[in-house]
Amino acid sequence: MNPVVRIVVVAVTGIVLGLFATWITMRGLPGAVSSGVWVTNLTTGSPASDPYTRARVALHGLFALNRNETIYYTATKDDGGERLDGKCRYELRGRDPNARWWSITAYGGDDFLIANPQNIYSVSATSVVRGKDGSFSVAVGGARGPGANWIPAGDGAFSLTLRLYNPGPEVALDPSQAALPSLKRIGCP
Amino acid sequence: MNEKRQEWLFWGAVTILIAAIVHLGTVWLLPRVVMMRALDRLGTPNTMHVGHRPDATSRTIVRPSPDILYATCPYDLSKGPLRLTAPVVRANYWSVSAFDGATNNFFVKNDQQTTGNSLEVLVIRRGQTWPALDNAVERVILFSPSERGLLLIRAVIDSDKHLPALEAALNGARCGTVASAKKLR
Repeated sequence: MNPVVRIVVVAVTGIVLGLFATWITMRGLPGAVSSGVWVTNLTTGSPASDPYTRARVALHGLFALNRNETIYYTATKDDGGERLDGKCRYELRGRDPNARWWSITAYGGDDFLIANPQNIYSVSATSVVRGKDGSFSVAVGGARGPGANWIPAGDGAFSLTLRLYNPGPEVALDPSQAALPSLKRIGCP
Repeated sequence: MNEKRQEWLFWGAVTILIAAIVHLGTVWLLPRVVMMRALDRLGTPNTMHVGHRPDATSRTIVRPSPDILYATCPYDLSKGPLRLTAPVVRANYWSVSAFDGATNNFFVKNDQQTTGNSLEVLVIRRGQTWPALDNAVERVILFSPSERGLLLIRAVIDSDKHLPALEAALNGARCGTVASAKKLR
């Protein structure tokens, strides 16, 4: 092979391989700690985060605060380990997490809010309707049902982000110990 | 034959080396590029920008919270230090945070950590001349690790009826370059 052609082939192959490796490692938010279906990373937003975490947060969760201020949990799968699909219907069930304020928001595969005629994107500590015992049940995806709490989820892959603003000290210390809502698949059409 | 094999090994190693350099370089570069693009999209530097309540049409920054009203001040310290003054909103949650050019969250202060009705944040680079101090009740001085970055105010929208008051409070925030007086080392 001509030496110039060889150098070009090696350089292009190296660049393509390098970019492919970056693409592979940049998919989705970084996770290291989980509580049920909820996954988070201890160094999100922190100057101490490693270059991979920093890059993934920049792509999928820009301007995240550090974990003492806010913990961001993401769910991409249900309790059964199946990928979340907006055509299916799910039930979030639980109690208020240990934090000053919280919210659960649905995002599409492009990391933006999912358009819906009702303009409903989330439930929060202030908007969720609780039962007499203080627990709540939130329908996610599918058509709106009779329940008071519902988050539409489009008709494709989606994820949920649970934000805990000013988490309790125990949760900030070990986010895997947080008691967080379960996410059960009710059914798919 | 042996020479041919060595040649293949050599070029294989060069390919892997190039791939490793490109991979590590892009991983390092990504947050910086994302940050610069975000700062450009957020508007004029050293000016406060108050957004509307995020919805499905909000596509400037990924994963916006629909329950938070955001105000941003993209800063550029090339012309001098920056001063932000903001009324403190005492509701479910309010904070001012700072992000450097690599997306790191290097400062945050929330309403429960403030005592006054307003907070002043001075952002300065090491070696930059010190701005004249006013008589702010509560002041934080930040040394920014980078020339460009972002100050971000978050306020929880606890109900639609409180939205106008929240918008008014965030519209009361100001940020801009300030005159310098004393050199810091």
